[in-house]
Amino acid sequence: MNLNNVIAVRASKTVYRDGDLAIKVFDEGYSKADVLNEALNQARIEGTGLHIPEIVEVTKTEGKWAIITRFIEGRTLETLMNENPDKFDAYLEQFVDLHLEVHRQKSPLLNKLKDKMNRQISMTDLDATTRYDLHTRLESMPYHHKVCHGDFNPSNIIIANDGTPYILDWSHATQGNASADAARTYLLFWLSGNTEAAAKYLKLFCKKSDTAKQYVQKWIPLVAACQSIKGNPDERSLLLRWVDVIDYE
Amino acid sequence: MTTNTRREIIDNVQKLEAALAKVKQAQKIFAGYTQEQVDRIFLEAAMAANRERIRLAKMAAAETGMGIAEDKVIKNHYASEYIYNAYKNARTCGVIEEDKAYGIKKIAEPVGIIAAVIPTTNPTSTAIFKTLLALKTRNGIVITPHPRAKNCTAEAARIVLQAAVKAGAPEDIISWIDIPSLEMTNYIMKQSDLILATGGPGMVTAAYSSGKPAIGVGPGNTPAVIDASADILLAVNSIVHSKTFDHGMICASEQSVIVLDSIYDKVKDEFVKRGCYILSEEETEKIRNTIIINGALNAKIVGQPAAKIAALAGFEVPEKTKILIGEVESVDLSEEFAHEKLSPVLAMYRAHSFTQALDKAERLIEDGGFGHTASVYLDATTEKEKIDEFANRMKTCRILVNTPSSHGGIGDLYNFKLAPSLTLGCGSWGGNSVSDNVGVKHLLNIKTVAERRENMLWFRTPQKIYMKNGCLPVALDELKDVLGKKKVFIVTDSFLYNNGYTKPVTDKLDELGIVHTTFFNVAPDPTLACAKEGAAAMTAFAPDCIIALGGGSAMDAAKIMWVLYEHPEADFMDMAMRFMDIRKRVYTFPKMGQKAYFIAVPTTSGTGSEVTPFAVITDETTGVKYPLADYELLPHMAIVDAGLMMDQPKGLTSASGIDALTHALEAYASMLATDYTDGLALKAIKMIFEYLPSAYENGASDPKSRQKMADASTMAGMAFANAFLGVCHSMAHKLGAFHHLPHGTANALMIEEVLRFNAVDTPVKMGTFPQYDHPRTMERYAEIADFLGLGGKTDEDKLKNLIKAIGELKEKVGIKKTIKDYGIDEKYFLDNLDEMTEQAFDDQCTGANPRYPLMSEIKEMYLNAYYGRKQNI
Repeated sequence: MNLNNVIAVRASKTVYRDGDLAIKVFDEGYSKADVLNEALNQARIEGTGLHIPEIVEVTKTEGKWAIITRFIEGRTLETLMNENPDKFDAYLEQFVDLHLEVHRQKSPLLNKLKDKMNRQISMTDLDATTRYDLHTRLESMPYHHKVCHGDFNPSNIIIANDGTPYILDWSHATQGNASADAARTYLLFWLSGNTEAAAKYLKLFCKKSDTAKQYVQKWIPLVAACQSIKGNPDERSLLLRWVDVIDYE
Repeated sequence: MTTNTRREIIDNVQKLEAALAKVKQAQKIFAGYTQEQVDRIFLEAAMAANRERIRLAKMAAAETGMGIAEDKVIKNHYASEYIYNAYKNARTCGVIEEDKAYGIKKIAEPVGIIAAVIPTTNPTSTAIFKTLLALKTRNGIVITPHPRAKNCTAEAARIVLQAAVKAGAPEDIISWIDIPSLEMTNYIMKQSDLILATGGPGMVTAAYSSGKPAIGVGPGNTPAVIDASADILLAVNSIVHSKTFDHGMICASEQSVIVLDSIYDKVKDEFVKRGCYILSEEETEKIRNTIIINGALNAKIVGQPAAKIAALAGFEVPEKTKILIGEVESVDLSEEFAHEKLSPVLAMYRAHSFTQALDKAERLIEDGGFGHTASVYLDATTEKEKIDEFANRMKTCRILVNTPSSHGGIGDLYNFKLAPSLTLGCGSWGGNSVSDNVGVKHLLNIKTVAERRENMLWFRTPQKIYMKNGCLPVALDELKDVLGKKKVFIVTDSFLYNNGYTKPVTDKLDELGIVHTTFFNVAPDPTLACAKEGAAAMTAFAPDCIIALGGGSAMDAAKIMWVLYEHPEADFMDMAMRFMDIRKRVYTFPKMGQKAYFIAVPTTSGTGSEVTPFAVITDETTGVKYPLADYELLPHMAIVDAGLMMDQPKGLTSASGIDALTHALEAYASMLATDYTDGLALKAIKMIFEYLPSAYENGASDPKSRQKMADASTMAGMAFANAFLGVCHSMAHKLGAFHHLPHGTANALMIEEVLRFNAVDTPVKMGTFPQYDHPRTMERYAEIADFLGLGGKTDEDKLKNLIKAIGELKEKVGIKKTIKDYGIDEKYFLDNLDEMTEQAFDDQCTGANPRYPLMSEIKEMYLNAYYGRKQNI
């Protein structure tokens, strides 16, 4: 295992390239359950036929957990969007199509999105009344069983050299309501500072999936609350504003 | 203040479970309370809540930080006083309604345990409202407050409970969750017997998905249309009054006003004059971004004063500003002002016409107020059509006219027939199970005790029946002397016409100076074409009297011509529609006798058509027979003159005589038989047994027998005109139609089978009719045998003797024993048996039969009759 070629550094993990393999090494102390869950999610998604990097091995190196996958030669959609602003709309189109492709998949053994969000809402430091309202809102949302990526953003899409798009990072994957997954992507665009892209994305997603905008919007306070546990202080005031809405009475 | 010291704080599911057990126990006891006990508890509880209205209002405003304490006082006052007043005299315990004559009684029972979800917008008044309703209906209630208002809601419940217990209610009849969680809410919903959920869509969805019956109500988005005919002063001030009430937190509150172009500026001026603030374009945009976040309502503005909302948006308005009004155009949800705002923020739209105003209102309701409330201001005296149009188009369960909607929707304040309530049903449009204002009736199970009652029966005959050999000319005197008829139309068949049977009639009419004409082109089994031809002649002649002279065919044809003459528009398919009960039939038979008086003169002794409300006609193009039955078809007069029957041929005497016998036998066995018809039937049967053989053998040389048979036939006719027939006629109708057997002969071939079939004590299915309480047709046949003096010790013996006697009578008058004996081809018979069976089953006559036949049973009877088998069915 050659760990000389670092290709990405993230909080608590580092990704290396070794020939045609990508090696994601988790920091010491990283939850074993989370590592194995990520590998399991990814293995399950492989079963759907989506283009994703195939898992080769889950192992330990120097006492740290590592997931070894095929390395996909190419560039992220984020990079492409940044480098070719004139082609942004075409890339966004491809991005939404890919997102819908994900939602067309079923993977019955994946964790349930609503279970996960319920847990996350309970973990927030929001006051009890707000949590009560959020739990009530979440409970009333329709149960669906579509594959949801959970962190679907252009940096997680690699366009391979042959033009095939690959979707990375399935650690947050669940099955649930596609509109919740879209609300999450909208939020991610917004948090990245690109509010214009967020609005464009939402509009295009709703159009292509034939979904009412309000339907996706109903998930926004919920995904904002879940996002708030990630503890990024810069994002907090926006997230709290998005959370503090009321159901009509 | 808490005096109920032993009460434990409920903050988890285990404690809630224990509390619920206590409420259940208390409710079991409460369920046995009398109306007087309940009414006293209801009174004391309402009084206590009323006394505490101010303290509770202040608590609610302070705890939630929303709304206006003084307005909440009104809501608390309303919830106690108006609810008490509305239901103080309502019967909610035990027998609440009784009609002894009809044997119907309604008994009110509690549903059990009610799970009540209380919203944060009306936290004390809704709690008072629901607990009072629960007490009045002897239900237990467990309250789930909203966490934002948990203390004041609990306090309201406690006050009601304390007063109720003091007045004698069981101790734990009301309970509440102190520290709410969704887990507890879901638990109590699942454990309750009924959910009264007032709140947002999330809670309502939870209620409906709990699997328990739920009365959940939802959001409103009330539009107020101001028509050009409206009283502007009244309209604007009503809206200001309503919209500012509790800072706009009432779900029925106006969210938009749609103003007709011609009065727009005046309305706007009046709003300004009354302290409202019209937002500039820039301010409007700021408010948009403040009130709605990602399509949802910003919690920070709910129930806040206008000035505070403006400050949140980043601009200032005078502190006492009543309402912020945004002049906007889109009614689409992309327009923030089109949403429900729960605050003193109002959208104002301009409309070019009333219709366009309604288009906008319709869309706003669709945006988020389906089923709730819509309001219109106009001149209610001159613009009734507009009210109708508005009511017709708005998909809301409350349509308010010239009424502030916050106050108007909850009822009894601006209209005194709209039930007072703080839970407003939104119907299926709002995903609700109720569409009216929720009240005590929704919290009761009403048992209906229905005692068995017997149907009213009847006895109907022509107004006049004249009988006796030679009576015809005498009876016809009436046409001139009594009835004053001018033009008579005679219907008969060509045989009778050619043989001079109509001559006594026409001679008499000539003598009386009455104009007449005769239609004689009636063939046996008359067709629709024949009836139409006759009706055309009738229409041309325009008679005021019809005389039908002949056998069943002529009389039936004349009846149909009569219908076509009086009601050329009538449809035969409709008139022939089968019915279960002639009084409940779907089709209303046209009124007869408006153009012509109908006289029937039989020339055969069998059909009884002269006294029956029946007629059969065949559509010659399709072969379909239309049996018509309605008392409108009853002749006005029947003239039974045996002189016209003297020369009947033997075959006709025999077949029509046996037909009359089966009429009487079936009318006697019918479930609709009465003592009135029984007398006629019995006597007719006896006369037929006595006189048919001689009438058959001796014909005109035994005029007495002819006379007796004529009378017996008409008497049997009256019996079955009222008691109806049975399955023998059903089968005979189809046997005749399929195999061209004379009607009387077909009956003769089936009747013994039917007697055996009907007489059993354990039929597979008995007929459905209240008077027919157990299978007792054997007994009925035995009565006939007794009347005939046939002897026999047991009912079985008597039945056997009756069947034997019928067999002998048939033999005497030349009826063959089996269907086969009439030369009906076996293969053809069997090939058509299933079709014939099904048609017989569906015949109108089957309904009155005391044994409800299965099709397989009809088939067996046919087979028995075909081969002469004697096996029981």
